[in-house]
Amino acid sequence: MGEIIRVFRPSRFVSAAGALAVVLALAACGGGKDAGSSTGSYGFPQVAQDDKAEITVWVDADRSGAVDVFKKANPDVPVKVVTYDGSANGSNSFRTKMQLFDRAGSGWPDVVFSSQNNDAAWASQKSNGKQAFAAVLNAGLVPKATLDGFTPGSLNPCTVDGKVYCLRNDLAQVVLWYNKTLLTKFGYAVPTTWEEYQALGEKVAREHPGYIVGTVGDAFAPEIYFWAGKCQANGITGPTSVTVDTGSAQCQRVAGMLDTLIKNGTTPNISVFTPEFVKKYSGKVLLMPGPDWYAGAIFNNPQSLNVPKGQLGVAAPLAWQGDTAATGNVGGGTWFISSHSKNLKAAEKFTQFITTADDYQVNLAPGYPAFAAAAEKWITKQESSGYYATDLQPIVTAGTQIWDGWGSGVFSQEAIWAKTMTPAIANGKSLVELLPEWETAIKNQAQVNGYTVQ
Amino acid sequence: MTAVEQAVRPAAVTRPRPPGRRSAVSYGFIGLYTALTVAFGILPALYAVYLAFTDGTGRFAGLGNFTKVIGDFRFRPAVGHVAYFLLLWLIALVVLVTVLAIVVHAVRLRWLGSTLRLIFYLPRALAGASRVLLWLFLLDPTASPVAGLLRLLGYDSFVEVIVPGHLPPIFAIIAFWTGAGGWIVIMYGALNNISTEVIEAARIDGAGPIQIAWRIQLPMLRKWISYMGIMSLAAGTQLFVEPQLLSQASNAIVPNDYSLNQLAYQYAFQQNDFNGAAAISLLLLVIALALSAVFVLRGGLFETD
Amino acid sequence: MTVMTDRRTGLGGWSGRTITGVVLGIFVLFFVIPIVWLLLATTKSAHGLIVDHPFAPGRLADLRTNWDQLFAFQDGAVTTWVANSAVYALGALVITLAASIPAGYALALTRFRFRRALLILTLIVMLIPNTALVLPIFLELNSVGLIGSPLSVILPMSFFPFGVYLTYIYFTTSIPRDLLAAARIDGCTELQVFTKVALPLAAPIVALVAFFSFVQSWNNFFLPFVMLPSSDGYPIQVGLTSLLASTPAFNPSSAGTQSVQLPTLALATVISVLPVLIVFLFAQRFLITGLTAGGTKE
Repeated sequence: MGEIIRVFRPSRFVSAAGALAVVLALAACGGGKDAGSSTGSYGFPQVAQDDKAEITVWVDADRSGAVDVFKKANPDVPVKVVTYDGSANGSNSFRTKMQLFDRAGSGWPDVVFSSQNNDAAWASQKSNGKQAFAAVLNAGLVPKATLDGFTPGSLNPCTVDGKVYCLRNDLAQVVLWYNKTLLTKFGYAVPTTWEEYQALGEKVAREHPGYIVGTVGDAFAPEIYFWAGKCQANGITGPTSVTVDTGSAQCQRVAGMLDTLIKNGTTPNISVFTPEFVKKYSGKVLLMPGPDWYAGAIFNNPQSLNVPKGQLGVAAPLAWQGDTAATGNVGGGTWFISSHSKNLKAAEKFTQFITTADDYQVNLAPGYPAFAAAAEKWITKQESSGYYATDLQPIVTAGTQIWDGWGSGVFSQEAIWAKTMTPAIANGKSLVELLPEWETAIKNQAQVNGYTVQ
Repeated sequence: MTAVEQAVRPAAVTRPRPPGRRSAVSYGFIGLYTALTVAFGILPALYAVYLAFTDGTGRFAGLGNFTKVIGDFRFRPAVGHVAYFLLLWLIALVVLVTVLAIVVHAVRLRWLGSTLRLIFYLPRALAGASRVLLWLFLLDPTASPVAGLLRLLGYDSFVEVIVPGHLPPIFAIIAFWTGAGGWIVIMYGALNNISTEVIEAARIDGAGPIQIAWRIQLPMLRKWISYMGIMSLAAGTQLFVEPQLLSQASNAIVPNDYSLNQLAYQYAFQQNDFNGAAAISLLLLVIALALSAVFVLRGGLFETD
Repeated sequence: MTVMTDRRTGLGGWSGRTITGVVLGIFVLFFVIPIVWLLLATTKSAHGLIVDHPFAPGRLADLRTNWDQLFAFQDGAVTTWVANSAVYALGALVITLAASIPAGYALALTRFRFRRALLILTLIVMLIPNTALVLPIFLELNSVGLIGSPLSVILPMSFFPFGVYLTYIYFTTSIPRDLLAAARIDGCTELQVFTKVALPLAAPIVALVAFFSFVQSWNNFFLPFVMLPSSDGYPIQVGLTSLLASTPAFNPSSAGTQSVQLPTLALATVISVLPVLIVFLFAQRFLITGLTAGGTKE
């Protein structure tokens, strides 16, 4: 023990103080100088521009093909590509890296693709006094005509306080998928309201047990059912304010409906990406409310349900009786331009091309483009494949019906649902009785992320 | 008895300390390591301390960060999770690894011993993203190679397996599966250095294998076991990888703020609050230090005989 | 007393051996089953992985498909990643050995003023959660302009207190001090004592530390993730997350041309593990030589 006391000799203090001085110096130099100055003509502080500078573009693996298309069409624009995980699966890497660059004061890329659609919530804000990462797009940087060309509402996740901070790559509107062959075989009609949907689910449970009309086991289940039902679980009203009310009539009606269907087994608590789902329900899916990318991911996928040609149909999203039609949205990536970019012109050219040009969005993009003109052509292309049993116009319609009362906050609604609700449902609790718990969980999560709950 | 023959006696026998030769050359030996320690250990640690006591703009915040994180609604559950996990993990690692190491060491067939060590070590080599895939399947009763076992325990779906109550044992199993191999290798090396003459002598005196293990091998492994104890304490309190990978595998059914270290990560990178993260890290450090002190003192880690 | 001569084998009579056998058997199964599954998974198609029996072997054709898919991913990025991992791990290994072995020796067998302090400090630093250290290290390296270069990863990974402690414990438990005293009496300088007496006896621990350092560097995800902005420089661990993000099972909206299927991911895993296993097999030999090297005369 005497040895240990010897550690605290005065000389030790001197060296410790010296070390602390170094540390404080480090802390001081970590604070980036605001390189630059003046609020430029685009509504945010700009650095000195250089029209010939190379732009660095961050994409995920699926979008690297997009960059190649751009390079081919615009060989005079120098582009450097960096691939990263696209901030997918909760990795939050986009925000993580940008925050590190903020602290270092340099290193930001010029254009970033994020597979998430809620990054504008933080990218539009100053963090710890540092300039916001995202450039404002609707103050002159991107032509108004282009911005207006996006499907109305598709830029909502990108819009904070009236300013647009990103361009939407693709839309992921929820539609009603159904197996036309099976429905005809069983003699059922395609429902048009949620009430009819529930009635059909009850009928299926009686007459054809083992068949399903939906699933609730995915983390994005609330975005399919509750968002479409206009439940006020995610009322983002500003960059730091939110209203949460899961006890409202709208939320109750969705919860009640799902409870019946979960109980009778027609909307099991399974995720569509588990081996279990494929094993149990291949060939047994009658209806499936879900995003438009279900077609490629689940139905027309040999690794998943592998629904044969000519069976899959799509119908317009369901509405509650007497209410206007609304639907939800599950995903859809976004493109950001950095406010620190030295070559905003090239960055804007790139981003505009990527989100609107037919070369990519119609010919190559796997998802429904958010840009309306490209979307129409994309739909036509999909229809021409001959895979679907119906035309795909309901998808276009659904694209305009995404309810705007469900916001895109910094915190993840999917994570909250997966953590709080899925295990509870597995334990047999009913959604109706879980609604207060859901509300508390959302409020807690919002608060630790800096939101005030109203 | 020549000096050399004397030297061959087992190191555990206390000897008079050789005349102190404080030589400047020692500083040369530790020079590079000290430089690295200062650059990547001490300075960052001091910076973390600085962060823990200031707020986002650099102003002094007293204990503000600490009260903030302790009052966070995720803090107390996380403490409970880590504590439960730590208990299981510590016992499993210290006891099972030592037993396995002694057993593997006693295997006479060379090739069998080597193969066993390789098998135990294999999981350690698997790291990172690859494990997500592995455990996603292992824990799903519809596709797992140990589906029989899971069904026997009464679970029919993935969600049933990963309910919150099961998570500490699951993480302990995953961590043990991944981490035991490395320690078995270390213990094996340590056992190799116990002079065979001593063991032979004991055997001739009539000691059975269990007595040899208990009376001779274990005391000689004291330092190693205490080191293993400390490291597993550190690893246990810093539980991060296992819940994170299950969180990815289950698409967030297992939350990404399950453990304290994950919470620190969330503070740093989700909430952009490095001060809160530093505060949590300091709390973790204090806890780990307090618990380690037990191992250090009982294991005599700092004695040099 | 005559009964004792029977007990020549390591674990005594039949009952001892049965118990040992059972215990070992259970643990072997525990460790091996997931690995076997993983190996078999690389030979299956994604659909087969789900519906086939877990231990049913797949087809060679599926293995080839998975292999092709893996190396087609981002034009053979996997090869670059593995090469990067090797560079970082070997670079860190060299510096680690140069730093840790002498340091462990000095801490164990010489006396100098800050010995205890360094030991305690090392222990404390080892116990600090990594999360807290990432940002300061990032700022440090950024201030000397190293972010993005391999050194930004190699240097922090060379700080390996775990290895120093291993060396320290090894030297305190297995090298008799009298041997060193004898060498000193015989006229060796401190440096010669280290190089001529201690180092040759330390072969097992050098192998062990080298090995652990290599594996830790190879498996390190967070440090390269933070330090390396460019995908060309990714080691395999960071690259695997890119792969993971392109796997629809983990990232639903990634269904597209670059989709990666689960068995391909399994194959990537196996590939990422092979170098470590090779190094392990190589290092094992030194562990066995330790049996005879410890405490010999000379």
